[in-house]
Amino acid sequence: MPRNKILKTVVLLSLGVIVVRLFFIQIIEHDSWVAKADEQHTILETLTARRGEIYMMDKGEPTAVVLNQTTYQIVIDPTVTIKEDAEKVLEEYAKKYQVVNLDEIYDTEGLRYSIIAKNIPREVAEKVAESGIPAIWLKRTNQRVYPEGELASGLLGFVNAEGKGQYGVEGSLNTLLAGKDGLLKTTADVNKVALSIGNDNIKIPAEDGKNVVLSVDRGLEKGIEELAVKAIEDTVATNASVLVMDPNTSKVIAMANLPNYDPNNYTSVEDASLFVNYTLEVPYEPASICKSFTYSAALNEGVMTPDTTYFNNHAEVVDGWTIENASKHDFLYGSIDMRTALYWSLNTGSIYALKLLGGDASSINQQGREKLFDYYYNKFRLGQITGIELYEAEGYIPDPNEGWGRDSTYANMTFGQNLSITMLQTATAFSAVVNGGTYRTPTIVEGIYENGELKKGTDVEITEEQILSEETSSTMRDLLIHNRDYLVRAGIDKPGYAVGGKSGTAQVVKDGTYDDTFAELIGSYIGFVGPEGELPKYVIMVKMWGEGRSVGSDDALGLFGNVSNYIINYFKIKPKE
Amino acid sequence: MKTRRHKSDLVILFATLGLMALGLIVIYAIGPMRANVLNSTYGTDYASNYFFLGQLRSVILSLAAFFVAFKLVPYKYIKKFAKPLIIVALAMSVLLWLFSATGSSLAKCELGQCRWFNFGIVSFQPAEFLKLALVIYLADFLARKKEEGTIGKWREFWLPLLIVCGASLGLVVVAQGDLGTGVALMAIIFGTLLMSGISMQQYLLMLIITVVVAVGAVVVSPHRMERIDAWVATLSGGESSDSTYHVDNAMLAIGVGGFFGVGVGNSVQATGYLPESINDSVFAIMGETFGFVGLFLIIAVFAALLLRMLKVAEGTSDLSDRLLIVGVFSWTLAQVVVNIMAMTGLVPVTGITLPLLSYGGTSMIFIAFAIGLVLQLSCYTSREVKENENISSRRGVGGTHHSSRRRRS
Repeated sequence: MPRNKILKTVVLLSLGVIVVRLFFIQIIEHDSWVAKADEQHTILETLTARRGEIYMMDKGEPTAVVLNQTTYQIVIDPTVTIKEDAEKVLEEYAKKYQVVNLDEIYDTEGLRYSIIAKNIPREVAEKVAESGIPAIWLKRTNQRVYPEGELASGLLGFVNAEGKGQYGVEGSLNTLLAGKDGLLKTTADVNKVALSIGNDNIKIPAEDGKNVVLSVDRGLEKGIEELAVKAIEDTVATNASVLVMDPNTSKVIAMANLPNYDPNNYTSVEDASLFVNYTLEVPYEPASICKSFTYSAALNEGVMTPDTTYFNNHAEVVDGWTIENASKHDFLYGSIDMRTALYWSLNTGSIYALKLLGGDASSINQQGREKLFDYYYNKFRLGQITGIELYEAEGYIPDPNEGWGRDSTYANMTFGQNLSITMLQTATAFSAVVNGGTYRTPTIVEGIYENGELKKGTDVEITEEQILSEETSSTMRDLLIHNRDYLVRAGIDKPGYAVGGKSGTAQVVKDGTYDDTFAELIGSYIGFVGPEGELPKYVIMVKMWGEGRSVGSDDALGLFGNVSNYIINYFKIKPKE
Repeated sequence: MKTRRHKSDLVILFATLGLMALGLIVIYAIGPMRANVLNSTYGTDYASNYFFLGQLRSVILSLAAFFVAFKLVPYKYIKKFAKPLIIVALAMSVLLWLFSATGSSLAKCELGQCRWFNFGIVSFQPAEFLKLALVIYLADFLARKKEEGTIGKWREFWLPLLIVCGASLGLVVVAQGDLGTGVALMAIIFGTLLMSGISMQQYLLMLIITVVVAVGAVVVSPHRMERIDAWVATLSGGESSDSTYHVDNAMLAIGVGGFFGVGVGNSVQATGYLPESINDSVFAIMGETFGFVGLFLIIAVFAALLLRMLKVAEGTSDLSDRLLIVGVFSWTLAQVVVNIMAMTGLVPVTGITLPLLSYGGTSMIFIAFAIGLVLQLSCYTSREVKENENISSRRGVGGTHHSSRRRRS
């Protein structure tokens, strides 16, 4: 072969091989390369929805109590970022936000993107960005901030590291607050910067979460929490919960659980019970408070008046159990009226009301049990989910016709034992007792705050039902005000105001039976406040307790008095002229 | 055989100009992406048209070099300086090596390899000059030895040849670590040697010895073995790794191009995924941009350029002319084939530019000059005269004048 032919052959052969190879790569393997390219070029990014803020009312105006703060993280890629550059950035701007040791990052084989500093405020992040140091990235993150610190922590809850609301409003209204994350699918360059190249780029914008406005009044909440803290200091109680509600709208105005914790720093909380909202998540026995409900039932059925009398024997034997009164003063022995029985919180009195409901003044019967169940469960909706916007427990009302010892169970139920109900259920039912007889579903969401405007309304389905006659309600108010006659005399209840209430001291069930040593007691008090001669403006319920502590209803009564007087001052309720 | 001056080879002319123009278009499209990637990764401050303007400058300088070689400087004058040229070229490489060894700022190093002189705003790669000088030197040396009848003799032929070639290869491959240029130099040496009239036995023996030495050099160098391993991994479809990243992404770019390509300005691989996207890897970006059709045309243009060079070489009557053309041919062929084969995973990646298309000043200027010389010589082929009979009308006017220019020296 002539030598120039050899060169010609080399040209044709080598270029021929290349063309065949190109045909193979570009035509035959094309689809698989495109798939690989998509994998390499496409970034899927979640467009994070902004979490809604939480507001409380402050004398009629929404005011933020939970905010978002944008902070930044510094991210490096040890395979690209020069170590000295990373050191320089930390040294000059972000030393105090540093979260890892750089040596560790650079010594770890195969490590790529790493966060080296966190929680950097915007001003510092801007300086880092302006410094122009290469291969240093800033990542924006959102942080939940609770500017009021511990205020209403049991009500508000917190947001965990994954951005999910936990406990309280943050937890129960998480979906509403969180909004909906969007999605960005785009072709990006090697530094993950989106390119305009590519046909199947997708952008679904994020739907920001709603700003939720609670009907809770910030100033009142704060004042009540301070009073509750003081009450805990002054008594043997370790815990106190206070619920304030407008009985005419069933809106929650205050919901305090003491002690509080700092939701900004929830990770340092060791006792998870601090996260619990006792006003509606933990059912209990409010005890004699429930006499208001038993009395309301008997009054409303027309089988009893405050002047109805019965023979008080200090004790009553039902199903072989002896039920005693707490007060056994001699002057109470014999024939007394129902008003007096309520004033002295006599268990025999409420049991008598149950008998009257059955139409037989001498014993408890099926009709009486069924009537009481109908009032407790169907009318007052005790032992049922109220439907408020928050997490709540259901509780329990025993069936009137099932189980052993039904009569004694129901005898106990007339004074608030052998059942299990929440403070919220109790306060809502009590509102119906004093507001003219209407039961309304309780709510705590006033509305949504959007573009500086409060849009009132809630997603909760509101039930409104007249369950008691106006007359029954009026009589009950008189009885409850009468209960506090001695407090007016003592100067605790101010003249010109109508303040009524009922106390409750509950024994605690230990190992399935009531602890008769009274070593641990829960003190409760429920009442209302308003100008004299008008419908009550606020219903207040107080619960105080402590593990192994004997907390009397007097402790709860004391806190109630402080709260009712605080409310009068706070809302400047005018007394009757 | 007497030849007279006639029109130059239009295929070579237009192939050269066409490739330069195409390179300019592609750099125009992907230059901004390159600038963006460098700016965001290394904090540099390149303007978006920085690389296009750089390429434009290179193309203008290359065109100047091309026309100087084509029209202004007769090859027979250049040939007289064959020896001084190779000495200067080798001296420059030695100087560069000294600069880099002493850490002088006049040596510009990248990734530990010092291949450039740094003169402030201008940098210069002596290896490119060495390629041209070696072509000119070999064309002159081999032709002279052939005429003297000493070709193939040890003392008169092999010894000086081995010294010059060995020095060139040693400086480029060992001192500068530039295997790509080494391959081009080898192609130049063996291309011209083949056409020099040396006996086939000696030629094959030399080829075998060189291959053995080359294989040995690769095996003893862990750095080079790594490249071979990476290449084998790519060929066998093995796991991707850092060492296969370059070729994986080159093939990905080519594969994505498909039949018609993604179109100018739509390359994603150029946005930082493919290393050396504007210079050594520009073929892959062209594959992504223009598809199989485009690459086929580009290869066809190179094939036409190369085959025309061979044809011109066949037509020259002077051995030194022919060897010069074959030298330029071998140089171009080696760079085209090795570059494209590396991009398609057929040979290990060596770091070699694609002639006339890749970004880079020195390499384009020298190969343009070399092709310019070929074009100059294409005016004096005997075959061209036969093919272009219509120039007979000019015989009466200037025939003697033209033919007088082309005397055997």
